[in-house]
Amino acid sequence: MKSAEELDAVLLEVLWNRLISIVNEQAAALMHASFTTVVREAGDLSAGIFNRGGHMVAQAVTGTPGHINTMATCVRHFARAHPIDSLKPGDSLLTNDPWLGSGHLHDVTVVTPVFHREKAVGWFANTCHAMDIGGRTLGADAREVFEEGLHIPIMFLFRGGSVNRDLMEIVRANVRTPDAVVGDLYAQQAGNDVGAAKLSEMMTEYEMEDIESLASLILDRSEAATRDAIAEIPNGTYRDEVVIDGFDHPLKIEVSIGVRDRELVVDYDGTSQQVDRGINVVYNYTHAYTTYPLACSISPSVPNNAGSFRPVTVTAPEGSVLNARFPCAVGARHLIGHFLSQAVFGALSGAIPERVLADGSAGLWNTQLEGHDRDGRVFSYVFFSAGGMGARHAADGLSATAFPSGIKGVPAEAIEAVSPVLMLKRELRPDSGGAGKYRGGLGQEMVLSMDTDTAVLHSCMYDRTKSPARGFRGGGNGAVGAVILSDGSRPHPKGKYELKPGQTVTLRLPGGGGFFSPMARDPKRVLNDVRQGRVSPEAAREVYGVVVDSLTREVDAAATEAVRDASAGPEDTTGSAP
Amino acid sequence: MVEERYVLAIDIGGTFTDLVLLERRSGRQAVAKVPTTYPDPSDAVLNGIDSVLDSNNVEAVQRVIHGTTLVTNTLIERKGARTGLVTTAGFRDALEIGREGRYDIYDLGLELPEPLVERRLRFGAPERMNVRGDVMKPLDEASIHDACRLFLDECVEAVAICFLHAYANPEHERQAARIVRDSMPEAAVSVSHQVSPELREYDRTSTTVANAYVQPLARRYLAGLSEGLASKGIVAPLHIMLSNGGVCSAETAAAFPVRLVESGPSGGALSAAYWARRSDRQDVLAFDMGGTTAKAVLSSDGGFPVTNESEVARVYRFKRGSGLPLLVPVLDMIEIGAGGGSIAHINRMGLPAVGPESAGSVPGPACYANGGEAATVTDADLLLGLLDPEYFLGGEMALDVDRARRAVQRLSVRLGMDVNRMAWGIHRMVNENMANAARVHAAERGTDIRGYAMVATGGAGPVHACGVAERLGIATVIVPPAAGVSSAFGLMLAPISFDFARSYVSRLVALDYVRLNGLFEEMENEGEGVLREAGVAPAEMRIERTADMRYVGQGHEIRIPIPPGRLDSDRLDEIRAGFETEYTRKYTRTCEGVEIESVHWRVRMSAPEPDPGDVETGPVAADDANKAVRGVLFNAEQAPEETPVFDRYRLAAGFCAAGPAIVEEAESTAVVPRGWVISVEDCGNLILTRREGSR
Repeated sequence: MKSAEELDAVLLEVLWNRLISIVNEQAAALMHASFTTVVREAGDLSAGIFNRGGHMVAQAVTGTPGHINTMATCVRHFARAHPIDSLKPGDSLLTNDPWLGSGHLHDVTVVTPVFHREKAVGWFANTCHAMDIGGRTLGADAREVFEEGLHIPIMFLFRGGSVNRDLMEIVRANVRTPDAVVGDLYAQQAGNDVGAAKLSEMMTEYEMEDIESLASLILDRSEAATRDAIAEIPNGTYRDEVVIDGFDHPLKIEVSIGVRDRELVVDYDGTSQQVDRGINVVYNYTHAYTTYPLACSISPSVPNNAGSFRPVTVTAPEGSVLNARFPCAVGARHLIGHFLSQAVFGALSGAIPERVLADGSAGLWNTQLEGHDRDGRVFSYVFFSAGGMGARHAADGLSATAFPSGIKGVPAEAIEAVSPVLMLKRELRPDSGGAGKYRGGLGQEMVLSMDTDTAVLHSCMYDRTKSPARGFRGGGNGAVGAVILSDGSRPHPKGKYELKPGQTVTLRLPGGGGFFSPMARDPKRVLNDVRQGRVSPEAAREVYGVVVDSLTREVDAAATEAVRDASAGPEDTTGSAP
Repeated sequence: MVEERYVLAIDIGGTFTDLVLLERRSGRQAVAKVPTTYPDPSDAVLNGIDSVLDSNNVEAVQRVIHGTTLVTNTLIERKGARTGLVTTAGFRDALEIGREGRYDIYDLGLELPEPLVERRLRFGAPERMNVRGDVMKPLDEASIHDACRLFLDECVEAVAICFLHAYANPEHERQAARIVRDSMPEAAVSVSHQVSPELREYDRTSTTVANAYVQPLARRYLAGLSEGLASKGIVAPLHIMLSNGGVCSAETAAAFPVRLVESGPSGGALSAAYWARRSDRQDVLAFDMGGTTAKAVLSSDGGFPVTNESEVARVYRFKRGSGLPLLVPVLDMIEIGAGGGSIAHINRMGLPAVGPESAGSVPGPACYANGGEAATVTDADLLLGLLDPEYFLGGEMALDVDRARRAVQRLSVRLGMDVNRMAWGIHRMVNENMANAARVHAAERGTDIRGYAMVATGGAGPVHACGVAERLGIATVIVPPAAGVSSAFGLMLAPISFDFARSYVSRLVALDYVRLNGLFEEMENEGEGVLREAGVAPAEMRIERTADMRYVGQGHEIRIPIPPGRLDSDRLDEIRAGFETEYTRKYTRTCEGVEIESVHWRVRMSAPEPDPGDVETGPVAADDANKAVRGVLFNAEQAPEETPVFDRYRLAAGFCAAGPAIVEEAESTAVVPRGWVISVEDCGNLILTRREGSR
């Protein structure tokens, strides 16, 4: 191949696309062989290729932001601990260290050096959510990371092609579902092997000795594209403050985003201190969930790699809940991490409101159930569910759709087929979307019970039961969520309790916030929401100022005008919310 | 089956309706291409029939096979019936909640496909089965009557019924369907356990709803077509092409119209496999590249992989996940946003890129001089000399080279690149895009395609075939004759066949064989009925059983063969070995000590594949085939090469030549780079072979 200087634009695009195609093949192999439902059905994984120094060059298009952007940081730690030239073909490394990887023990990263003509040319890495990692099971209620499960420092998974048997025995002895967890480690390795084989094919085809010059062109191009995109935003410092439920007490996320010509400086100074429960966030994860919403708003068409992150600096005070110190508990770190997008959008709405979302339900609702089925077998099942997304500047928010997480829900029938969970209801929640000219997405209501003889441990990882998703620019807030048992009692939304046979639990997932005043919503759209049961006639009248005639089921134009005139105010009122 | 003298195939596409009449004994065929008519496409069919068939031999037509894009277009254009949905109470929003995910994680403006049934016409009925099919709560029949009253008030024309776990026990769905049919005798009723008895309520509901939505229209259309054929004196049975590569009776098609969604591309794939077989090739990558998209299907050992995961009416055409999911058997194919009309642009990174946006046929590429300004793949191909501006579509349309050059130049100037190099780059990049997509598709199926033959069809297919083949390590390209009507031709090759499925999740060691044998018996009985209706004698019926299985805890199943006859625990080892073989083929190793579980059990019932015999491809004029020499740019580094241009219609069997060369026919142009050799076979196939060691 020609040297980097001579690589023309066509060939660069061709090779770049080929790398993306290779990491997609890597991800496909991993997903198909995985034992963990959330990996396959929910896409809770990421895969990518890195240059010799551990800088991410390309990543699979699948994946969830929490993994994608943390993996980018993680591989550099491996490259430091085991310099690439000290490794041999057949070697492979792993870790689940929350502070090096994606912020909790359940995510295992496998990193494999790749050799071409006996020379180490780079790394393939992937991160997957393990079905179990021992400890107290996935939850928010641990006090220290030691309670949360098995902690594997950076070490060999394979050495010279042989699996690290001692490690495998330790893993097997520490987890509740040893076959699945060990099976997934093999699947992760299989993914990297596929990537390595395909990369080697490509290098042979194009007569490449290494990928360093190609990588630096890719990273430089991506960096430049991100800088160009940042340059379109007016200079200034944009701030926001978001309050979230926390474990027992509300927590505050304070952000300032400085736009300085072609770079961004994000600082979380003023954010609450770390807490003694498992919702603390490590810096990597903070970085990941900060750069993700920035990319969505500013540069959605720039591929993710180490170059596209260069123009962005993220800082959070050490010891804060966004840069928590070892050995704090971190299991349900997404309950804070997923809210960073709200703060980022809130701040950016001061500069580019047309390119942000109002607050959404944000934190994925994770339901973990563990107990014995009627045959006495141990089961452990986790599934993720989504509330409503925030409204857009010119469109309604999406109902029951995950954001910022990129993962998907699992059908009720699939849940019931592999666990004794019974899903008795899963329906949109009327009036839960924040009112607005553009309405927030609706949350959903689920009712669960257990087809077991004995009580089941239900671990709740739910947020926005106190602090609602804010509407932007005069839009209304989304409805808050709730967890209610059939006896009327309300379990702790981040705790564990026993769900007894015959009892049901209702999960009301929060809705997203609206955008602009609901008084500005087209009455026809309000009418349609009423007809479709998304908005009640009462809310139409009281919140939107639209009167729907109960007989004709049409808008009463005169009455509507009267109500709207009476409540007339400035359309774009800016309250405490952005 | 009775001996067939004439077989008539009719394929309705968005633009053209193709007809092929084959005389079985001689292998002679008559072909017609007429514009598709709207609103009633059967007008075109009846006109076309007049041009392939004279009134003397109508009675000799013993079989009519029909493929149509009607169902797909109805779904894309949202022109189906007003549809109501009855679900288990508490689940009426399954259709809207979907998978709770986003198909593009960076696009804040993304929209999800609008459900085919609006929320107020989705009705929850109290009832419940569990996963084993036991009744947890009986059906509240009064609620179904309430639903019918609502539907009648709202002028609903079609009703879909989908209850949780109905695949395990359909009794409540049957009960509800009876009530709906009694109360709404005019309405089309689709029931999930019949349309798609598979686990996953969102996908099953979506499929059942889509079936209901298109059913009234499909029913009217098929009845109209049958009448029209009868009015022409054609009384032969009418068979309809399905997405799975088989055909069924018009009655079955009217009951399950959602199974027709990919019928056109299926015909093309069967045709490709036929021509490959004529050249003794069994492993084929069928590659069809048209104006907007390219499609690729892998056929191994002459058979086609069928998948049950497909989508229709995508919001973003090429984004997986942006459409309505359909759980029906379809040939496993990929569609890529790469065609002659694909637009070249400069992306955010300042690099050139091609597609997936397309100039389509209107306004079309800049060289069509029809108002298109954007540089497209066809413009680049023209500048490179791959296409003759005077002989596009056999000379029916003159191409404007200057407009093409100006369009490409607008990009090349911004990149500081020579215009020819830019044109070469566009050609090269679209080849890479297609090769990448095919490579990932093959990898996802655990197939190594390097030994495969590519069958290239479509207007742009033969132009790009060798370039794509080189990127995939494929050394043989087959350009079959009469590629212009390949879908219609393929219809004649489709066996009568229908697929059935039941979900039954169980660990293999805990299988209830009474239940399992019952499921197979049920499916095979149903299959016999469907085939009998299509005129197949019991002795000719073939039964093929498969199952989708996985290791306990996995989320992805693989399909494995299941032995015929009554199953019991003695057959367990055989089933397990089948799973392990397939698993190893896909993922290199098995997982020792992990139990295997079944998810879906399937039966395909089919009649033998029709043998069209050796179809004749028409005489060739034996005069000099070399009609011109022109400069063609095969490589950005070199100057244009003087390249011989051959007329396909004058290439006799046995002809051989070495590339570089161009072979032109009315529908397409085969581009043969240096390092490739042309040969023409007796059957009419043009074979392009890459010489060993050349790149």
